[in-house]
Amino acid sequence: MKNALAAEWLKLWTVRAPFGLVAAVGLMVVLGALLSWLMVQDYDTSPAAEQARFASADASVVINPVLQFCVAALGALVATSDPRLAALTAVPNRKRLLAAKTALVTGAAAVVGAVALALSIGAGWLIMGDRPPPVAPWDSLGDVLPWAGAAVLSIVVTGLIGLGLGLALRSTAVAIVVVGVLLWGLPAITPMLPEPWNMDASGVMVPYLVYEVAGVVENAPLNPVAAVACLLVYAAVTLGTGTVTLLRRDA
Amino acid sequence: MIEVRNLTKRYGGTTAVDALSFTVQPGLVTGFLGPNGAGKSTTMRMIVGLDRPSEGEALVGGKRYADLDQPLRHVGVLLDPAAVHHGRKALDHLRWLAASNGISQRRAVELLEQVGLGGVRHKRIRTLSLGMKQRLGVAAALLGDPQVLMFDEPVNGLDPEGVRWIRDLMRALAHEGRTVFVSSHLMSEMALTADHVVIVARGQLVKETPMEALTQNGSLEDAYLALTSGRGL
Repeated sequence: MKNALAAEWLKLWTVRAPFGLVAAVGLMVVLGALLSWLMVQDYDTSPAAEQARFASADASVVINPVLQFCVAALGALVATSDPRLAALTAVPNRKRLLAAKTALVTGAAAVVGAVALALSIGAGWLIMGDRPPPVAPWDSLGDVLPWAGAAVLSIVVTGLIGLGLGLALRSTAVAIVVVGVLLWGLPAITPMLPEPWNMDASGVMVPYLVYEVAGVVENAPLNPVAAVACLLVYAAVTLGTGTVTLLRRDA
Repeated sequence: MIEVRNLTKRYGGTTAVDALSFTVQPGLVTGFLGPNGAGKSTTMRMIVGLDRPSEGEALVGGKRYADLDQPLRHVGVLLDPAAVHHGRKALDHLRWLAASNGISQRRAVELLEQVGLGGVRHKRIRTLSLGMKQRLGVAAALLGDPQVLMFDEPVNGLDPEGVRWIRDLMRALAHEGRTVFVSSHLMSEMALTADHVVIVARGQLVKETPMEALTQNGSLEDAYLALTSGRGL
């Protein structure tokens, strides 16, 4: 397992695509900080009545969906970028290969997500300073942690979704398209369903689950524990499908 | 040693490999001959566990390939030189293969020098010629210093110097007591390289024999065409 994981690590960082994804994540953190700064400038020059109606200047909420997408693409790349012939002659034990890929994606997603969110939240904290709610949504670090934890969890889950879809579909492009449908396509459609299906369906969409896990939504369809379970079901179903494909099909 | 026992592969109603049995002995270069679609590549893929047999089994050193711990130390495989990530550098390709089987990174550098690719080790694979990719594939096969080597059409894309190089390499590997199993369409090349031949057609074994026995009354090409056309010898 140690050798398989070392090989997966080398494979990941000896091609260009992962660097592009990390660069995209970095760019989003910078753009998010710029957005926070612009909002705060606007806030400072607005009358008190308008200030009370301001949205939060926390950019981590805005960049989180992009982080999810980038990490899901990374998961799909780990699954598909190398021809199976080479991968399976080097590591013919398919369960071991799968375990190495899963460990790599979980670790990389957690690190990338945690670092990007820490930078984004930290930048926002500095930019918002001691301004009151609603433009600055937190009073203390304790207020940030549920959201940050939920966001990192959602990023890890989307990485595993990308990995599972890549293994199942055996195509980076198709896997990334399906990730896009899950993260953006379906959540755009579910609010248009008739009541009460619209709320129920929206409540199990990946982007909405992050807020439910963090417990920041009033009257949410799912409580935080159920929302965590729902996220894990996404990962289990996609990774399970990918596992069956890898174990049963010819290379 | 490679043992193929009653190996069968079906794709729906099509039988690509049909109850194939033969043995590849150490110390010899064994040529694997047959027309296009005869099942040679499918057989080789089943030997290394890429495709699952419908029936039968293939053993390398008495074990299934998938059951080998650090398989590259036991079996070197060149099935498709294009089956690489073309955006990766040549050395990095060998480095991850080495890491996957606990082989030293230094071995990757040494092998690139040995196969004549030392000067392009930091080039991305997409920039290499077909012959260079073939040499990279040979280097990957030799990475774990294995006792068993399998090459599928290894001289494709090689210039005359490269053809001679791989012929001499296979002869030297067999001389060291290793098992060398090589498929090719080039009869003249096989006649110069192989000690033993396994001929298949339509997925079935047609002949397994020492090269000398096959060529005592004519050329390998004549014998091969007679056997695969069903006229026999």
